[in-house]
Amino acid sequence: MGLDRRAFLGLVAGGTVGAMFTPIPWKLIDDASIWTQNWPWIPRVPKGQIDYVATTSKLCPAGEGLKIMRVAGNPILAGGNPSHPLSCGGVSALARSEVYMLYSPARIKSPMKRNGKTFAPITWEQALVEMAEKLGAAKGAVASISGDNTGTINEVLTALTAKLGSAGSFMMPSEATTAAKAMKLMGAQGQAGYDFENADTVLVLGADIFETWGTSSRNRKAFGASRPAGDKPANTYVYVGPSRNNTAAVCDQWVPAAAADLGVVALGIAWHLLKAGATSNAPGFDTFKAVVNGGFGPEDVKRATGVAPETLAAIAKALASAKAPLVVTGSPFGQGLGAAPVIAGMSLNMLLGRINKPGGVYMLPELPSVVPGALTRAAMLDGDLPAFLKGVESGKTPAPKALLIYDANPVYGLPEAATMAKALEKIPFKVSFSSFMDETAALCDLVLPNSLPLERYDDVATPYGSGFCVYSLVRPIQKPICDTKTTGDVLLGLARKLSIDLKFDNFQQVIKEKVASLAKVSGGFVAKDVMPWQVAAGKPAPALVGGDLWKALEAGYAWTMVGQAPQTAMGFAAEVVAKAVKAGKPATATVLAPYAQLRTGTPVTGMPCQDLTTVPDTELLGDTTFIRVNSETAKTLGLKKGQMVKLSGAGVDCQAKVHIFESVMPGMVSAPLGFGHTAFDYYSQGKGANYLSLAAVVEEAGSGLSMWIAPEVKIA
Amino acid sequence: MEEKRSNSAGGVGGMALFALIGFVGALVVGWGIFPKMLYSQKTQPIRFSHTVHTQLGIECEQCHHLGPDGRFAGLPSTESCAECHGEETGDTSANGKEIDKFVKDYVKTGRQVPWLVYQYQPDNVFFSHAAHKGFECTKCHLDVAKMDTPPPYYENRLSGYSKDTMKMWECERCHASMGTSNACFVCHK
Repeated sequence: MGLDRRAFLGLVAGGTVGAMFTPIPWKLIDDASIWTQNWPWIPRVPKGQIDYVATTSKLCPAGEGLKIMRVAGNPILAGGNPSHPLSCGGVSALARSEVYMLYSPARIKSPMKRNGKTFAPITWEQALVEMAEKLGAAKGAVASISGDNTGTINEVLTALTAKLGSAGSFMMPSEATTAAKAMKLMGAQGQAGYDFENADTVLVLGADIFETWGTSSRNRKAFGASRPAGDKPANTYVYVGPSRNNTAAVCDQWVPAAAADLGVVALGIAWHLLKAGATSNAPGFDTFKAVVNGGFGPEDVKRATGVAPETLAAIAKALASAKAPLVVTGSPFGQGLGAAPVIAGMSLNMLLGRINKPGGVYMLPELPSVVPGALTRAAMLDGDLPAFLKGVESGKTPAPKALLIYDANPVYGLPEAATMAKALEKIPFKVSFSSFMDETAALCDLVLPNSLPLERYDDVATPYGSGFCVYSLVRPIQKPICDTKTTGDVLLGLARKLSIDLKFDNFQQVIKEKVASLAKVSGGFVAKDVMPWQVAAGKPAPALVGGDLWKALEAGYAWTMVGQAPQTAMGFAAEVVAKAVKAGKPATATVLAPYAQLRTGTPVTGMPCQDLTTVPDTELLGDTTFIRVNSETAKTLGLKKGQMVKLSGAGVDCQAKVHIFESVMPGMVSAPLGFGHTAFDYYSQGKGANYLSLAAVVEEAGSGLSMWIAPEVKIA
Repeated sequence: MEEKRSNSAGGVGGMALFALIGFVGALVVGWGIFPKMLYSQKTQPIRFSHTVHTQLGIECEQCHHLGPDGRFAGLPSTESCAECHGEETGDTSANGKEIDKFVKDYVKTGRQVPWLVYQYQPDNVFFSHAAHKGFECTKCHLDVAKMDTPPPYYENRLSGYSKDTMKMWECERCHASMGTSNACFVCHK
């Protein structure tokens, strides 16, 4: 009985049937299907101990407190810190990118020195020697630009610039610079802070408070907390601006008005308040009253802005009858607004008696300075960078011999970008302390990469818009990934090399001294069980145990203080308003109404790679960006949906596709900012156009401030 | 003809016999040999005695804690183990040698122990312990608390997963029996 053919077939048949009663075929099919999920190129979730550490966002200007999720010590995800008053658990698209940006292809991996049209890596010691030599030779004509509104690094930068012989220390223009100018003209002390948490009627003039203006994460949380789902809202929000943007979309009412007319609308409301008997003891009230009554009646405002008299009257009535009304004024795209509209908006707060009151505007004092010889924040905000660079470009202002640029990208982030680039070309030695190869860094002689916020000590002090003084710590939670250094340390090392005494050896010492100085400030406390807006509303502030402040800040809590700078002569600055705010005829030309969004980054960060997927096809399709016009404007200009057009302004042309969008008021061309980078990585580069370059800078009458709020453009 | 008949009769019987041999052989291979071939056997880099630690009164959650959102917070790091075992003991007992091996190889080098985890879920599964905290740990996990030597780790040569990784049908069966939704998005976010 050998193994003949039949026996073999029997063996095979039996074996096959037998196999069906074993796990072999079923398990192999199952495991093979699972195997297809594990191909080596599929990204894996890292494994290890998961923990959460606290820090604060520096990439996002809203200054949210963050909880960084780490796996085996590696940061994985940034989320909002529920214990932080500027976050309350919320996080912006930009703060969310703190972790991802660590691995951005645009990161500068080591110090670089220009070599013709390219850069060559150098050591940090070589960079310091080079800087010391060039800055020593440039003494007496060294300028600096900072893009960081909130950091103590500015004290180190401006103190060093001053000791080298300052040709000017400037802040990149933002809402903070405009507001600071307005407050100065009004004779006010301190930074305007808005108490959204305690306000019951909020009039928003232009400011995109839930997207790019001020403490946007905290603003959203305050708005949400007062409007629990299914319950009656505890307050009313009215938005006035050229488009139904992310703020207007959730407000109770959108009143279409051009950004150039925000001051006119404010004075139109003031007309109603004055008529109803509003008065003030502040200097300049009589002149202000005369200006308002002389040209801002309901019909004047309607003729100039298109806003109906009954709409203005209703807003004025709502404000006058509210217990805690608040008026917030800002640019719909976070820059370029003149000082006069802010003064006009603040005048409404004064008429309503809302200065330094719960739910109103607090004039917040500046936190103590620790670096000897540093400029105050108010002094830095007083500089007019676009005017300075335009003067350098035209030859009216002597070009500095050296320029230090920290966390700023003026070649991309300022209007008239081409002019700004030409101005920079006139400066013989430029150093960029940027983390990314941005448009400005690409023009510099030395690029000395700053470690990213998750790799360095830094801080955030009272971002513009916050209703209370607030200070939070940024601390390293991992070693620098590339050969980068904290710029504060580099500047202090440079000072030592130049035999300049700035009191500190490293930047961590500066931050520690700052925290120690805060522990001595009367009225300061750690926001933990009691939040600052509760203190503003009357709850006692808890005591601060000084020695524990550093530990509390490291744990993610914020130091806060509800207080106000003493006011001696805050007035209406009516003469500025009279010169700058005119209720003329509506503009006949096509006006650019840019809008900014945190998901498209900032000039400093470029576009975070993970945010690119959140940009809709009606904003960016392929490499082309869209402009938005409503159907009425499209008809007037002869534009069709999807049509390619050329926008011209300030001597620059930009391409765009047309998107018909009814949430833009007639006569306006709404255009997204954050696109059109020529530097950074492939996530940002070559995506659409930089529409800010179309904006021409003009000087505001009365204040002399550079403004570019409503540039006219041609469409062909 | 006779020979042919004989062959035919013997052939059918033989064929049946070989079929039976094939059937039984397949069962032996399928149930006995195949599983041993499919899985490679590995041992933990450190012979961690759970018994010693539980006898000291340490609860599972003290080392295997959960994150704020209820997700498993991972295995203890070398640093957290080093809080108790930061120095070599010089103890020559079996457990003492393991402690010294841990200190020498991981604490002093700053490396994490490449523990073999019996039940890591696939990356495409979101599992929250917070939603399952009513159950005893041992309902799903090996009862290692009573083991002085960690059990062998069996790795599926084809899929790469541990033999103890819970399969989808097991999750679904439990969800069904508890009246919990089995919709895809419940586990696959």
